[in-house]
Order: sequence, then structure tokens, then C-alpha cells
Amino acid sequence: MVREAIRWLLSSLVLLFVVTVLTFVLVAMAPGDAAKAILNARSGGYTPQQYQEMRRMLGLDQSLPVQYWHWLDHLLHGSMGTDLFNGQSVTQALGSRIGPSLSVIVATLVVSGLVGVALGIVSALRGGVLGRLVDVVSLGGLAIPNFWLALVLVELFAVRLAAFPATGYTPFGTDPVQWLRGLVLPVLTLSAGAVAFIAKQTRDAMSDVLSQEFVTMLRARGLSTRSVVLKHALRNAAIPVVTLLGLLLVSLLGGTVVVEDIFAIPGLGQQAMTASASHDLPMIEGVAFLFTVVVVVTNLVVDVSYRLLNPKVRAS
Amino acid sequence: MVRSLTTTRRQALIAVATAAVLGLAACSSSAKPPTQSGTGSGSAGGRVGGTLTVVTDVSPQTLDPAKAVQNDAWFTELAYEPLIVRHSDGTLVPGLAASWSYTGTGNTTFVLHLRSGVKFSDGSALTAQTVVDDLKYVVASKGQMAPFLAGDTFTATDPLTVTITAGAPNPNFPQLLTQDYVVGGMVSKAGLAAPTGLGTSTAGAGPYMLDAGQSVTGDHYTYVPNPNYYDAKSVSWHKVVIRVVSDVQSVLSTVQTGQADVAQGDPQTQVAAKQAGLTVASSPLLWSGVVLADRDGKLAKPLGDVRVRQALNYGTDRTSIVNALFKGLGEPTNQMTVPDGYGYDAQLNSTYPYDVNKAKELLTAAGYGSGFQLKIVTPDYQQLNILAQALKQQWQKIGVDLQITDDADANKYAAAAFGGAFPAFMTSFGAIPVWMEGPSLFMPTAAFNPLHTADANLTKLYNQEAVSSGAAQAALDQQIEGYLVHQAWFVPVVTTGLPYYARNTVSGISTSATEPLLDLYEVQPAG
Repeated sequence: MVREAIRWLLSSLVLLFVVTVLTFVLVAMAPGDAAKAILNARSGGYTPQQYQEMRRMLGLDQSLPVQYWHWLDHLLHGSMGTDLFNGQSVTQALGSRIGPSLSVIVATLVVSGLVGVALGIVSALRGGVLGRLVDVVSLGGLAIPNFWLALVLVELFAVRLAAFPATGYTPFGTDPVQWLRGLVLPVLTLSAGAVAFIAKQTRDAMSDVLSQEFVTMLRARGLSTRSVVLKHALRNAAIPVVTLLGLLLVSLLGGTVVVEDIFAIPGLGQQAMTASASHDLPMIEGVAFLFTVVVVVTNLVVDVSYRLLNPKVRAS
Repeated sequence: MVRSLTTTRRQALIAVATAAVLGLAACSSSAKPPTQSGTGSGSAGGRVGGTLTVVTDVSPQTLDPAKAVQNDAWFTELAYEPLIVRHSDGTLVPGLAASWSYTGTGNTTFVLHLRSGVKFSDGSALTAQTVVDDLKYVVASKGQMAPFLAGDTFTATDPLTVTITAGAPNPNFPQLLTQDYVVGGMVSKAGLAAPTGLGTSTAGAGPYMLDAGQSVTGDHYTYVPNPNYYDAKSVSWHKVVIRVVSDVQSVLSTVQTGQADVAQGDPQTQVAAKQAGLTVASSPLLWSGVVLADRDGKLAKPLGDVRVRQALNYGTDRTSIVNALFKGLGEPTNQMTVPDGYGYDAQLNSTYPYDVNKAKELLTAAGYGSGFQLKIVTPDYQQLNILAQALKQQWQKIGVDLQITDDADANKYAAAAFGGAFPAFMTSFGAIPVWMEGPSLFMPTAAFNPLHTADANLTKLYNQEAVSSGAAQAALDQQIEGYLVHQAWFVPVVTTGLPYYARNTVSGISTSATEPLLDLYEVQPAG
């Protein structure tokens, strides 16, 4: 167990190193740089001398390995640097945005997980029209562009019915009710596709499990359908669904940009987008580092879930 | 010296125009219940409302007034009262300066007399030396407006008097030191001593100051009253929140649903805002059209002939284009300014009526009766790409084959257009004083003159304008405008405005041709 933990930790560190190095290299390869972005933003243009001066000020004239080493050195001392444009600490900037992002992502996972699994089970048990309906809804959910759905939801539920706010995010600590109200429309938008996907995956996995011999045996022993499904079949069928939820979480990390944009949620997706557009390397590295940490932790949670759900994995 | 000054001015003015092109924004957001917005009540002069929430679609990169751009004016003006305030009717009224004037002739010496008893939000006093230090900081910061002050000397003549001695005539010091150009807002001594902090905090002498604890950079910025403000009676709100909502449709939804009182809108949503019953204020701000950059015929020989350039103007059916693309949002124009703006002359608008035959005659006389190809680059903003397509269709009728390069990447477009790679390019340009417009739009080193056309007559007029004032200056502005129109350096097509939306919770939503930007100082609780 200890050996496995050490192995996981080491592989995680390697992953973090690789991702942050790759990010540095990719940012350097992208056309333009922060010096140009700053000069363009402040004065609309620049002379070669001004450009070189700005590069020196930002440390961009140093070699890539040296720049990376400086960044890593700061990280090991607890700092991820500062925003090149306004001097704000990257840690502080990301800290203020992780709450909104996690709120949206976790709420989306919960909603899409619960609704998707429920729909999948019902569909697997009933089959027929309901099964086909889940298929249709799946395709529909995946086909509807989320920016369009978001605009429709805003028009309907915010503008016409005044049931939910059209934009903005209220921290839970400030007002839990407003926090929840503000999440409804963005989460509905993001869940549309995810629910469909999870429902279909659950239905397929559940149908497969229900056709296995051990389920027939359980039924023969007189167990109720509810017990067979919820206590035995679902546990087996849940493995691919857990994988899917893990993937969904990772994809939502950076995939919420459009929803954050439309609902004006100050999340990490927006921050990543802004930083990338302006070549703000410390911020890009900070976001990449944070995303990688979340991915690593998500993988760990998924792995642990496998062990809990599947004795074979536990035994191996 | 002159070279470096004009070069840097040119660079700054690219940004001025770009700012105008991109919409002159400001921003911020907070997600509070709708009922908290615009809960104003009270009495005028001391009328105090609850929270004013305003929305814009652009986030400021910095709050430092020396480095911020025009788009960020809302974010800076609340905390940094400028030396001179431009009222919504365009008049200039005292801000931190009680009075100001040029001395002598030639627009090279400008004197500001500061208000007495003014304190910054940190409690320190406003002195002439603070202003001098601030202006020096502006120049050293090399921000958007620094070139307009570069080469100038700043002197504290006495504790409350500042004298600016310009390196070259500058007839627009009063305009430059208003909130519109950001650098008029003064920073305290402590703020100047630690400029890094100015990116995310404020140290001004304005009616409000940033409450960093209630703000999230890039999302919403909360301003609370400055306890040391010299005119506490004029503070209209307990709190002002500027929200950043980047999606223009969401900006409208935010105001519609009562989550905000005021918003900087977008032409795309202007009609919907009116239909939703919001107050919509919009004054002409931009002209959009073609820069015929190659007036010497270096890249496209036909453009070297003024008759060809005039033919393109005659061959443009502005009314049809406006009706099709800008109905209710803009007006046809022949000029590089907006109605009642700097240098505007109503008579010039009849210079180029749509006349295909006249256009063909001119082309034939110039030796291009069988037509020619013209390459043009366009960005995608302000519908310029669609406007270019409309011109392509219209100019086919006079034999001109417009070869359009549509560059969605604004930076790539800017490199192509301002780098002199195309003989013509589409643009939207903000209405600014003619003296400030020159180094950007038409003088030899101007960014919008990338092939550096020099015209002795134009330069002479410009130099005369730089040392003039009052009616003489206005007349010279019109002469310059007329000269440019008759020389057909451009094909202006339409003037459009920047719309602002407001709910009935507020009043003071007013703009004008000489102040098309909404001034937050004037927004008050309704009633």
C-alpha cells in the first residue's frame, strides 16, 4: 500500500513536471509574447528598442530553461509569480476563481451523475420506448450547442420568468441561496450533454450486467428487483460510469469557458483563456499547474473508486 | 526629438483609435440580488442611492491610470478624479483643477490652478508637486497617452499651481487632462512611491476608492466612497460596482433582469434594448470605411491619382449600405468625423453623392476606364468585413475588383494594415480632436498612413491648427477635414455610436457628440 502511494506520488510529480515544461515550450512556440501584448495594450505599438526593453523587464530575454528554472524556484518557495499586466499574485488570482469553477463543476457532476444514472437504470429495466427515448435524448443533449442552450435558458428563466439570475456568481459564504440560484442555469446548460451521455453509458452497462448469470442467480434466490439492481448490478455497472464522471470533471475544467462567458462566472476557464490570449506566462503556468493537480487527484479518486466497486481490482 | 515624439504619438494613437474601434469599454461584475441594484433614494446634491451596478464587456488589464487605456476609463475615473472633468454636454468643468489656461501664444504653456483642500483617499494632500510627479510618472510609464506629454516640462510654480511647458504646440491639454484620456486622474504620493500596487488598488482623489476585499480582478470591482473626498455632497452612491460581462447578449440580459442599472451596450443589442424598454443613450463616436493608404501609388498605382480615389467615393452608395447593415444604428457620412464632432462640416456630406456615371468618368479620365484590382484587408469587428463585401459589390459597377483579405485575428489585421502591406484597409476610427487625430490618421508618421504620404498643404494646415484656439481652431479643423475629403484619402461610409443602456432606477444617462462616453459621475439615483 505504501509502495503504491509512493509510486502514485512519484508519477504525479513526473506528470506535473512534464506538463509545466510542455506548457513553457508551447507558450514559447506560440506566435507573439507577453512583451508585445503589454506594449500593444498600453500604447498600440512599439519600437524594437521598447520591445527589447520590455522583454528584459519581463525576463523573456533569458533562455527557456533559465525561465523555467526561475518559475520552478519560485514555486518551490510557495509563489507562482505575478500577473504580468496588473501585478496581482497568481495564487491570489487563481484562489479567487477556483471557488466558482469548483461550484459549477461539482454541481454539474452531481446533477448529471444522479439524473444520468437514474435515467440509465430506468431505461435498462424498462427498455422499449424508454430506452429509445434515452437514446434520442442522448443525441439531442449532445447535439445542442451549449452556448445556444445557455442563451435560451437565460431568456426563458431569467428574463421572462425572473426565476434565476442571468449572470454572476455569489460566493456560498456570502449568500447560500443566491449561490444556489446562480448555479442553476449554468449547471443545467453543462448537464444537458453530460446527463445524456451518462444515461446512455449506464443503460448499456446495466443491461450488460443484468444479462449476466449472477443476476439470474440473485433473482432465483428471491431478491427483489430493487435489491438486485441497486445493491448488486449497479455496483458492477458503475465502474464505466465512474470513469466517465472522472473524464467529465477533467473536461469541465477547461471546458466551461463558454458557459462562464455567457453567465459571467469568474472561473478558471475564463482566466486560462485570458492568460493564453495575452501570453501571460506566469498565469498560464499557474492554471496548467492547478489543472494538472486536479487531474492527478481525480485519477486517484477514480482509482480508489474502482477498488471500492470491484473486488478484483482490490485483490490485484 | 521631433521624430521620436511623432513616432511615439503615432503609436499611442493606434491605441486611441483601436480603443474606439473595439468599443471604448470598461467593466465589472458582482452577483448580488437584483433588488440591491439602484435602490437609490434621497435628495439631489446630497442624494445618496444604495448600490449602483454598471456592466461593461471589457476587463481592465490594470487600474493604474498611467498605464490604463481609454477602455478602462470607468474603472479609473471613480477613484481618480481628473484635473478637468468633461461634462456630458461636452463642456469642460473644474475637477481637481479649479481653473486652467494657456499663457502667451502658440499653445506651448499651460497653467493649472489646483483646488485647495483636496485630499487623496489615503489622507495625503493634493499639491502641485504631486501633480508634477504624477505627470512625470505618466510619461515614464509609456502608456497609451504618454506620447501626448512626452517632451513636456512640468513645474510646480507654487503649492497649488502647475505649469506645463510643451516641447511642441499642444492645443488639447484641457481635453487630454479629462477623464476621457485617463491620465488626468492624479495619484497620491504614496501611490507613486509604490506603483506596482496601482495595478489592483487605487490611490486617487476621486469620489470613490476601490474596495479590494469586495472585488475580484477581471470580474467585478467594488468602489466605496472616499472618506476624504473634497465634495462629499456630490457622492451619489454608497457603493458602485462595475461588473465585467464579456458576452454582449449577457450584458443586455444583466440589465434587463435588474442585476445592473447601467451597461455599456453594443450595436448588436441596441434594438433589443430599446424593445425591452431600457433607456438607450448613444452619440456618434466612430466613422467606419476605407483608408486608401496608397496615395502615392506605391502598391496600387491607380490610387496615386486623386480622380481614382474620388471615383471610389462617388461609386459608394452609402445610404443603401447603412439601410442594409446599420439601420437605426448609424448615418451615412463623407467625413472622417462625426456630426457635430471636431472639424465636422455639414456641407461636406454632399461632396460625394452616389453617382456611378461620375465615378466612371473620373476613372476613364485617369486612364482606368476598364477598371483595376484593389487589394484590401479587413478585420471582423464593427461589421467591417461585411461592409467590405458590400463595397466589393458596389465597386464592381465601376469596374473596380476589390480583393478582400478578411482577417479575423485583430492583431494580424493590425500588422497587415499598419505595416503597409496593403494599399487599402477597412477601419473604424474614433472621433478625437483634430490635433490628436493628425499623428494617428493623416500626418506622415501616422499609423493610419502606413505608406507615409506627405502633403505640404495638409501639414501646413495642421501646424496652423496646433497653435490656434477658439473659432480659428474650429475653422482650421474644418479646413483640414475638407482638404482630406476632397483629396479622398479615405472612403468613409457610416458613423455609429456606442450605446449605453439604463434602467429606470437611475438618471443622468446622457452623452453628446463631443462627449460620447457616459460619465459615471453624472449617474444618479432616479427620482
